[in-house]
Amino acid sequence: MENILLFSPEIILAVTAIVVLFTGLFLKTEHKSVLGYIAVAGVIISMALTLSIMLSMTTASMFYGTMVIDSLSQLFKLIFLSVALLVSIASIKYVSGSRNTEEFYSLMLLAVIGMMVVSSSNDLITLFVGFELAGLATYALVGFEKKNIVLLEASMKYFIIGALSSALILFGMSYVYGMTGTTSIPGIAENASLLAESPIGLAAVVLLIAGFGYKMALVPFHMWAPDTYQGASPVISALLAGASKKMGFIAAFKVIIVALIALSADWRTIFAVLAVITMTLGNVVALTQTSVKRMLAYSSVAQAGYIAMAFVVLTPTALAGGILYIMSHAFMKAGAFIAVGIVGFMVLLGNREARNVDHIDNFKGLAKRMPLTAFSLMVFLFALAGIPATAGFVSKFVLFASTIEAGLVWLAVIAILNSAISLFYYARVVKYMYFMPAEGGRVSEPAPFAVAMIIALAAVLIIGIWPEPFIYWATEAAKVLLI
Amino acid sequence: MLPIISLMILIALIGAIVTLFTKTKEQARMIALATSVVTLIGALYMFFRFDSESPMLQFVDSFNWIPSLGVTYTVGVDGISMPLVLLTAIVVPLVVLYSWNESKDPGKFYAMILATYAGVIGVFTSMDFFLFYVFWELSIIPMFFMINMWGGPEKGYASIKFLLYTHVASLVMLLGIFAMYFGTLFQTGIATFDIPTLLAQYQLIESDLARTMIFIALLIGFIVKMPAVPFHSWLPHAYVQAPTAGTILMAAIMSKMGAYALFRFILPMLPFTGSTDLMVSILAALGVLSIIYGAFLALAQDDLKRMVAFSSVSHMGFVTLGAMAFVPLSVSGAMFQMFSHGLITCLMFMSIGAIQVMTGTRLISELGGLAQKMPKLAFLMVAGFMAYLGLPGFSGFIAEFTVLNFSYISLPSYVIAAIFAIVITAAYHLWALQRAMFGVFNEKLGDIHDISNLQTFSMAVFVLLALYFGLNPSPVMDMIITNAEQIVGLMAVAGV
Repeated sequence: MENILLFSPEIILAVTAIVVLFTGLFLKTEHKSVLGYIAVAGVIISMALTLSIMLSMTTASMFYGTMVIDSLSQLFKLIFLSVALLVSIASIKYVSGSRNTEEFYSLMLLAVIGMMVVSSSNDLITLFVGFELAGLATYALVGFEKKNIVLLEASMKYFIIGALSSALILFGMSYVYGMTGTTSIPGIAENASLLAESPIGLAAVVLLIAGFGYKMALVPFHMWAPDTYQGASPVISALLAGASKKMGFIAAFKVIIVALIALSADWRTIFAVLAVITMTLGNVVALTQTSVKRMLAYSSVAQAGYIAMAFVVLTPTALAGGILYIMSHAFMKAGAFIAVGIVGFMVLLGNREARNVDHIDNFKGLAKRMPLTAFSLMVFLFALAGIPATAGFVSKFVLFASTIEAGLVWLAVIAILNSAISLFYYARVVKYMYFMPAEGGRVSEPAPFAVAMIIALAAVLIIGIWPEPFIYWATEAAKVLLI
Repeated sequence: MLPIISLMILIALIGAIVTLFTKTKEQARMIALATSVVTLIGALYMFFRFDSESPMLQFVDSFNWIPSLGVTYTVGVDGISMPLVLLTAIVVPLVVLYSWNESKDPGKFYAMILATYAGVIGVFTSMDFFLFYVFWELSIIPMFFMINMWGGPEKGYASIKFLLYTHVASLVMLLGIFAMYFGTLFQTGIATFDIPTLLAQYQLIESDLARTMIFIALLIGFIVKMPAVPFHSWLPHAYVQAPTAGTILMAAIMSKMGAYALFRFILPMLPFTGSTDLMVSILAALGVLSIIYGAFLALAQDDLKRMVAFSSVSHMGFVTLGAMAFVPLSVSGAMFQMFSHGLITCLMFMSIGAIQVMTGTRLISELGGLAQKMPKLAFLMVAGFMAYLGLPGFSGFIAEFTVLNFSYISLPSYVIAAIFAIVITAAYHLWALQRAMFGVFNEKLGDIHDISNLQTFSMAVFVLLALYFGLNPSPVMDMIITNAEQIVGLMAVAGV
């Protein structure tokens, strides 16, 4: 008998999404902030359930083997839910006063359900359905402010490229299905020799990498990311960089590492090239950005390059490092975007008509104007650069160590050099915040933003100072990938 | 027993955090002083209870930190690190006293001093490579802030150069650490970052190339921090642009981090690199090069602070030279040079800081005859310069004499080359002193008065310490020699 309760986290979220949607219909705009609290409560309950399932080490295969519950799926669900928690708390401020609050929250919750389905899926079809659910919901979220032309451009770009990538994924999947006769991921893995012997196998791999590469924002499939992250509101960028991008990784982990392991010789080479150009291009382009959001977007591209090293090294340490990196990056990047959102709020408070609110000049003297935000953003940036006592250091440590373990010294050297470059642009923002004179008085952070930021800050520091449980769970999750 | 070292680190960190949130200058400096004095008492307690006869780690304190990676939190001191811990603990309270009247963001200022302090003590005492790296990197960040917030006109450039240069070097070192870790893991199946274990296993790594690469990777990390010529180019900017307290912390303490690592890691590894003789020649040459080139650069400077910065490079060259000679007493002399240089360099930078504050310039050509208006400073500064150039009676003489004398046994040609630099060293010290402090008073400087009593006190303490350890080096020297003999003994077994 299948225990449907193992999917209670998803069910709770779905119910919350519907409740939020319907309650919103009967509320006046000024009362709609209550919807945010409902969504937050739903996410927290869902997190608690997911955590309890993970801690009990339950494994199960359900719905005729199309969905699985294991430590990998639960860990990724927790990552998605954590980002959702940060985003929904911060959004209480962001969407306050909007008529469409209920749509915002239900879309966000649906996106998270989609991501959770992807992380549990064990079949190409369920995976694709989850992928599309998350995709469609986030396309709408990016364009949430319908009157804002920049947002619409960002949304349009994201949507068109997202649709293209879906088509590529589906095309690749059709080849896989055509050659192996099954859509089940373990089934494909068993019959992968059929793919490996045929040139179609390589075509399928290329199509799938391209398709997932868009979501992961690997160069050369990254060009939507800077525009979209910069254009979208910071909370949505946090969701995209912290969660949606990670969905690309878990999907690629499942389809490419688990199902197509027989073709690893081919795709490891492809990923080696992609990882190197992704991290290098991301870091080099980030050097010259004046928009902090765009800088974070390129840094996000670079970080995807680091994570992609896990595909190249493909040892248990590397995969554990990659998963740990995904977890840390979710908090660091989401936290950084939320902090940027606070700065945007501060700028708009001074001048309603201000444009380019995330320009680096607006960060001048932030330490005087908003000490908490400046400190948190500094920690997030140093974490992204890999300075010790933060999550970023621990995950880089494990991931980079794995390259040496596997004897790929050249990859380690490239990654280390990139990491060194990145410190330059992160330190530049710190320099603006701490060493330049302030232009304006003290501003207090809006409470929801501040709460979300402090949670992210705490997560980054806890993973950095006491990483043992996180490394343990990342290792457990990695074991699922390499059976 | 009390975990003294951990308490010292913790108290310094807590002190840093509390100081950060103080509102007034009075609170900030009192907390900073109290914190540093309490930790000094801890260091003195360890120093007097330290068993100089034993080369083993003492006051060890350990627990499992990240078991799945084999990371432990282990701190302890031996004869290599004890003098440096003592040095750090002496320098910090005196730096706080010296900068007693810092009025720009005093809370943050003292917090950065204490944070650096915690990081440096951590580096000197950690016996786990992961922990070592964490402290190593963390000590850079407060210094980055220090240069940037209280630094001179080119602070932006200086701080970013300092940050990136040392960060890149640390990352290269990190690669070396990974390789040692996996080398040990593959051979023994034990995942550990324990420093003695990794050092013991290093020689068993099969490939010559791998051992050489690991050695070079670690060496780059350390030598940049020290720094030795030709990796010194971050130093003049960072030292000159930093505020006096920051320069002192960098020159007296942080430069010892790299030198300390030389004795902790490089010497035990050296016999087992693929090409030991070549490495010894290169390092000894770098040492001599630093001594000579640093001295010549110092001779050419008009800016007093730049002069002392380069002279610092020159003096740190003795550490490298003595270490590479592999004679127990030359190695001891090199370690003693770290301690002694730490004491004297504080005095130098403090004098220059005082001159700059009082006259508004550090350029020798714009100074002159200061001794007439600032007799106390002149007295202490002369003592400092004499100690720095190696006048017998001061600790610098003991250190440099031992290094040169005993290095001659195994590296005669290098020592002969280095001897000439001593003449230049004497020349630039005396010449600078003569032009800046004596002669006719430069009336353009206007009305200036002498240093404050607190500054006099903190500088006088350094003079007395340099004098004390110059006349009676044995309290520090004894513990150093025990460990130097042990290191050299291990090498002799390996046949070097």
